[in-house]
Order: sequence, then structure tokens, then C-alpha cells
Amino acid sequence: MKLALVIAMLALLIAAPPAAPAVTPKTSRQAVAEGLTCQCGCGLTVANCNHPNCEFSVPAREKIDHLIAQGLTRVQIIAIFRAKYGEKVLSSPTTQGFNLLAWVTPPLVMVMGAMLVMFTISRWRTARPGPAPPGAPHITPPDADNPDLRRELERRLRERI
Amino acid sequence: MPMLGQLALALALVLAIYSIGANIYGVRRHQPDVIVSARHALWAMCAMVTVAMLALWTGLLRSNFSLEYVASYSSTTLPTIYKITALWGGQQGSLLFWTWLLSIFTAIVAFQNRRKNLEIAPWALSVMAGVAIFFLAMLNFVTRPFDLLAIIPAQGTDLNPLLQNYWMAIHPPSLYVGYVSTTVPFAFGAAALITRKLDDTWIRTTRRWAIFSWFFLTLGNLFGARWAYEVLGWGGYWAWDPVENAAFMPWLVMTAYLHSVMIQERKDMLKIWNLVLIGMAFGLTLFGTFITRSGVISSVHSFTQSGLGPYFLSFLIGVVVLYAALLISRVKDLRSPAEFESYLSREAAFLFNNLALIGIAFAVFWGTLFPVLSEAVRGVKITVGPPFFNRVNAPLALGLIFLMGVGPLIAWRRTTPRNLVRSFATPVILGVFTGLCALAAGLTQWYALTAFSLAAFVLGTVLVEFRRGVSARRHLVNEPPARALVNLVAKNNRRYGGYIIHIGVICAFVGIVGSSFFKTEVKASVKEGQSFAIGSYRLRYAGLESSETPHLETVRAKVVVTRDGRAVTTLTPAKLFYKAAQQPATDVALRSTPAADLYLVLAGFDQTTATATFQVFLTPLVFWIWLGGFVMAFGTVIAMWPNVRERAAIAATVRGRLADDRFASEPTGGGR
Repeated sequence: MKLALVIAMLALLIAAPPAAPAVTPKTSRQAVAEGLTCQCGCGLTVANCNHPNCEFSVPAREKIDHLIAQGLTRVQIIAIFRAKYGEKVLSSPTTQGFNLLAWVTPPLVMVMGAMLVMFTISRWRTARPGPAPPGAPHITPPDADNPDLRRELERRLRERI
Repeated sequence: MPMLGQLALALALVLAIYSIGANIYGVRRHQPDVIVSARHALWAMCAMVTVAMLALWTGLLRSNFSLEYVASYSSTTLPTIYKITALWGGQQGSLLFWTWLLSIFTAIVAFQNRRKNLEIAPWALSVMAGVAIFFLAMLNFVTRPFDLLAIIPAQGTDLNPLLQNYWMAIHPPSLYVGYVSTTVPFAFGAAALITRKLDDTWIRTTRRWAIFSWFFLTLGNLFGARWAYEVLGWGGYWAWDPVENAAFMPWLVMTAYLHSVMIQERKDMLKIWNLVLIGMAFGLTLFGTFITRSGVISSVHSFTQSGLGPYFLSFLIGVVVLYAALLISRVKDLRSPAEFESYLSREAAFLFNNLALIGIAFAVFWGTLFPVLSEAVRGVKITVGPPFFNRVNAPLALGLIFLMGVGPLIAWRRTTPRNLVRSFATPVILGVFTGLCALAAGLTQWYALTAFSLAAFVLGTVLVEFRRGVSARRHLVNEPPARALVNLVAKNNRRYGGYIIHIGVICAFVGIVGSSFFKTEVKASVKEGQSFAIGSYRLRYAGLESSETPHLETVRAKVVVTRDGRAVTTLTPAKLFYKAAQQPATDVALRSTPAADLYLVLAGFDQTTATATFQVFLTPLVFWIWLGGFVMAFGTVIAMWPNVRERAAIAATVRGRLADDRFASEPTGGGR
């Protein structure tokens, strides 16, 4: 249940539009045009299509300016385009119905991946070899102050570094 | 020539099939001579594919329009350099080019392993030959580059104008080299599974191949982005197009693999995961080819629908199923003693780094395929464009950059809190200081603030690592700092090459953030002599010039750029019209500086009213993306270079072989 809650929150965080500031700014053409895909086949958004005489993006940008001048918001303008051209005109999936899957799946996979990594690490940590069994040969740690050992260590370090 | 090319491809197919049979028979029946003949067959296969390549190149250079391919992708007026690059400008030619690269790599692997890895090399070569058989079958039976036209046209339809650009001369070959060279580590991974030689031999044998592949995938993506930036004229370099995504995903997975294999080499862990990663990387290269050529997903970069889709999909599914079955059947043998002490360890950082990289790769994969899924389930076509990919990947990218800083400084096995503080104090201070400076400079976007702070943090970690290494050398060997730095990198090139790559990634990351968040755009229609402004620049339109060659017409605008009243440069954006192709194109004019790029497009003109329309972008920090790419490439070269110890080992081996040869050539009998 907790996991479902975490995933839902993550998905909402990612899919939700950026938080509105205290004073709603005037709708910008850029913000609207970024939300629409050009239908000329360039694969870019209406904001980015740079075909000078593009049959879609040029009139679309003019229409966006016109609708902004009439006082419509980004959401309203995008809804008008959607009603006319269908869902394919949106530059990203909606957050409703089947399309929600597009947004939820990547964070879900990440959460599951993170859980798998943490589970694996904790299993490996518990599987660490324990203390030596009684009767096993006792290995004395080397004396760090032993001058011969220090010389050998330094020689090997010089080789490695 | 066309007949020769077709014949060479048919022979190459026969030789590839023979090599598999001979390799397997030779290994099973312990017949070294048969294995040698398999190796010779692979070299002959490479020679045959080379003959086919040369035949097609000859056709292109001679404008032999009896060849359907030449008539479709070339013209008599096409400049020679683009006649050469037209070889990968179309479907059949690019498949032939792919097969040629594969045959070269196979021949090199056969040569490299003629005296070593005698157990797994024949199997690895069989896997590579298996892949070659698929491509050669396509070239022989499905999409033939040497098909002839019944009626020979006087002129070809020309190469797509968008491909007539110098970046297109190097972007596809780089990407293809990156794609195709993943076959080598994949083949050795598969061979290790087949032979149950599951130690890290296959990883060590193909370590340089994996880095080589990553190097070219990096360059391929970078050159592709630069091509889009200069040619498409929209001021951007990455549009999350399916074909771009297809090139990006193998890069992400190979990055994860290169980090993950370090754990196996050091601690003999993650054996299964590394085999999964290399399988994924290879599968994604096939997936990329499938979506480019099938027409399943619409893309500006796609070839026209070719009917190749079902074949590629079948091959992809076959490879995935076979490899997965092989992997599952060896799971018991792949279990390794787990030795993991703490979350605060380099191993843990690498695991989470893998998670972030694979998470991004999955998000890209999912977003690329979702339109197909939507159409299949709901019957509704939708678009998954840049807003989706940016929003989903942005937090993951921050996490990845953070881990990039943590990985190098955290110790293997475990790190004590005291060591953690000592190692990270400088980088954290640097990160926080950068964030505060950016805030004081008026930066308010939280993402950009976090990104710049993290970038400074990572740079701090790399600097700390270099400083530690240099001071250790100075202390032990008593060298001056500059010499200590050079020797440090030379003796530990893999490690410090990696850190240089990290610096490159950070440069590119800063460029991506800067150009994404702070780009400004102005569109202006001006009469000759009038000017307009963007940022601190003022641009004066000084007129048009027209020129014409047999190949294209050019209309070039002259724009004088000033800044604070002082002349900075003159930019000359142009509109091009390719006569044979009957298509227009844009020639962007750029003034690039580390602070920002001034990007000028001639959007339109009216010679009767002496008016021109310009689209101008002022894109901060985009310069750092390209610089970062080259720093990454430089770091990779350092990491790949044989270091002092390896060179000594190679010299000893050569000396040993020379001595052996000398003994072998001396008369052994005493009868004379």
C-alpha cells in the first residue's frame, strides 16, 4: 500500500504541470507551442518547427497568438487544438486513462529497481562470511610499524601510482 | 561491377555459413586445422564484403545509373565527397556498410585470438558470423544493393539535401562503428555462456572493444546532435526523435556496462548482470536498426518503409530468446560469492549508477514505444515528444550526476563517516558555493541551480582525486607536480581516463542545462540596412547575394553583427536549392563562444521589396556540449591506451615470440 502511494506520488510529481506561481502570468506563445506537435512531419513541436512556410506550424502559431489575445489560457488553447486534430497533436501523453501508464511506468520501474538493488545489497551484507570457526588458523595482522613491511609497501605503491 | 558486387555478397554468405560449421565441428572434434580454416573463411568473407563495398562505391563515383541504388541516391552533379557518403545515405548501402564493418571486426577478432582464448574464441566468432549471416541474407535476398534498372535514367534523383553536410559524412560511420562493435563483447559473452567459461576472461578480452564501442557511440551521438544543430535550423540539437533515442539507448547501457564490469573484475560479482547488460546493448542496436528501417515508428530520420521490419523483428526476437535461454540455463554456474559490506561503498554507488542509467534507458525506450502501444490498445495515435522525455529524465539525470561525483571518492568495500567527510568536504563546498553564486547572479530555476551545483560538486570530486594522486607521487617519487600528473595518468590511464571522461560529461551537462533553460529567440523581418537586436547583439541586414552551380542555387544574406557599438563579425546565412533533388535546404550561420551561440537562420526573403526574414537564437553555453564531447573522446583514448605495464607485457610477449621463431627457424638436427 505504501509502495503504491509512493509510486502514485512520484508519477503525479513528474506528470503534473509546473506549479503555478502566486500570480498567474500571461500565457506565452512559447508555452502553448511547446505543448503541440507540428503535423508537417518534422517531428518537432510547433514551437520548434522551422520550416519557413510550414503549412501547420506557421498558421498554428498565428492562431495561438490570436487566442492568447482573446484571453484564453494554455490549457484552453491546447484543448481547442486537440478537439480539431485529435490526441496526436499533443506533444506528450495526457495524464488520464491508458495514457497515465506512459507517466507511471518509468517511475514504477525505477522504484522497483531501487528496491531490488537495496534488497540485493542487504542480502549480500547478511551473507558476508562470519568470524572464523574455532580451530581455524589464526592470522596475525601485519605490524604497521615494521620497517621492512613499510619499505615493501612503499615500493609497491611507487609501482602502482 | 554490379555483377561482381552481387557475386561477392553471395560468396561472403557462403563463407560465413562455412565458418560457423567449421568452427563448431573443429571445437567439438578437437580439429585445430578445421578451426584454422574457419578463421581463413572469415578473412575471406571480409575480403568479399570489401569487394562488394568497392563495387558500390565505384558505381556511385562513376554515376552508374543502371544501378537502382545509385540512381536513387546520387546524381552527376553531386560533389565527390557526397558520392562517397551516399553509400550510407540509403537503405541497401547502409546495410552493406554495416555488414562491412561487422566483417572487418570479425576478421580482427579472428586475428587477435588466433593463439589465445582457444576455447571461447571459435564460439565468439561463430556468434559474430551468425550475425553476419543475417545481414548478408538481407543483402542477398531482401534488399539488394546491386539491383539493376530496366530503363537507365540520364540523371539520378540525388542524395537527400539534409545529408549533404560534412557532419553526415562522419556521423553515420561513427554511430555504425559504435553499434556494430557491441557485437564483439556480446559474442564473447554468449561464447562464455556456451562454453561455461564464466570467469572474467570474456570481459578482459573484450574490455578495449567495449570502450571502443562506447567511444564511437559517444562520437556518433555527438556528431548527430551537431548535424541537427547546423542543418535542421531550429536552434536545437536533440528532439527526442525515435531514431535519436535508438542511438542514445545503447550508449546508456554501454555506460552502465563499463561501470558494472569493474565490480566483476575487482570482486568477481555481478556476473549475471554484466551478461544481461551486454545482451541489452546488442539487442538495442538491433532495435535501433529495426525502428529506423521498419516504418513502425515515424521519424524524420527514418528510411522509407522497406519491408525489412518483419525480418529485423524476427531476428531481434530470436537473438533475445536464445540469449535469455542460454543465460537462464547457466544461472547456477554464474552465482558468485557475495562480498558486500556497506551501502557507503563504491560498489553500492556503481549499482545505483547502473540503476539510474538503465532507468533513463527504460524511460526512453518506453516513451519511444508508447505511441505504438497506444495505437495497438486504443486505436488512437498519440505523440510522445520532448516534454515527456525531458520531464521523466530530468530528475534521473540529476541523480546520475550526483552518483558520478560520489563514485570516484568513496572507497571500495566501505567508507567510514570520517573518511566521507574528509573526501567530500571540498566538493560539497564547491557545489554549495556555485549554487550560491548562481543564486546571487539572479538564477531562480531550481533545476538549473541544482544542476550547476552538482556539476561543480562532481568537478570538485575529480579535482580531489587528481590532487590526491599527484601528492602521493610527489611524496613517494619526489616528482615536480606537472611530471607527477603526467606519470600518474600514464601509469593509471584507465582510472584517470575515466575521470577525464567525467569532466567531459559535466561540460556537456552544463551545456545542455544552459541551452535548455536560457535560450532566447527573435524573429524579425527587416529591409536592407535595417537592424534588430537579440540580447546584447545588434544585427544589421546588409543585403543578399545569389550564386549558382550546376548542383545548387544559393541565396546568401549578409548580416553585420555588433555588440555595444563594436563590430563583432559578419554572418552569412543562406537558403539553398538543390536542383537534382528539387528540394530547398537551410545553411545556418553561427557565432560560437563559450558564453553563448548566436545562431542565425535566413527564414525567407523578398527581393522585390529587399526584405529578409531572420530567425535568431541566442543559446547560452551550448559550446560546452561539443567541448564536453571531445573531452569525453580524449578521456576514452587515454583509457584505451596500453599503459606502461601493458606495454611491457606486450614487449615481453613479442620478445618471446621472436625468440620462439628464431629457435623454430634454426636447424634442430645434428646430422649435417
